[in-house]
Amino acid sequence: MNAEQKRAWLMLISFVVCGVLFAVLAPFVGAQAAIVAFAPVGLNAFGVLIGRGEKVDERDKSILRRAALAGFAASYLIFVLALMGMWTTTFMFHGSSQVSVHVLPDVVTLGFFTALIVRAVAVLVGYRRHVEADDV
Amino acid sequence: MSEISNCVRRLRFEHNEMTQEELASRVGVTRQTIIAIESGKYTPSLGLAFRIARTFNRGIEDIFTCEDK
Repeated sequence: MNAEQKRAWLMLISFVVCGVLFAVLAPFVGAQAAIVAFAPVGLNAFGVLIGRGEKVDERDKSILRRAALAGFAASYLIFVLALMGMWTTTFMFHGSSQVSVHVLPDVVTLGFFTALIVRAVAVLVGYRRHVEADDV
Repeated sequence: MSEISNCVRRLRFEHNEMTQEELASRVGVTRQTIIAIESGKYTPSLGLAFRIARTFNRGIEDIFTCEDK
């Protein structure tokens, strides 16, 4: 297992742990306040210290590039679907085209989390399946 | 759709049982990439394919074969 795979596992495990913490806190303090449970995910920034100086070759770059693309695509999809869904719901059921200002930070957070999770999963999948070099 | 197969593993053994680590350092990749190439999980770039071919003093087509599915 190389450094990138370790970072991906660390990211997924931290999301699972923080997700459980969020689920435990939410009934007591409300979903808005319980979002603080995801703060430890930020510690993944120290993941760059894992395997410092480890060699990264063309296969790693190929996998990382595709994983980043998958993460971006998923977060973009979530972002658009969440905003459109929110707007449609508000318009259809409340007869208004105005969406609460509080929705945007939630959707941005959801999009960001989606990007991180999908990227981590794509890294792990990429190292398991057949990959072709990006001859550019 | 085409599938690229190779005989890198056999050539390594024919060259004084060269280790994956040694081949990896000669062509400038990690051992994991050599493992992935040998098992057909990774199709190398043209540049890397040339470096591997030069290491074994062979032509690319002697090592990598492309089969149409």
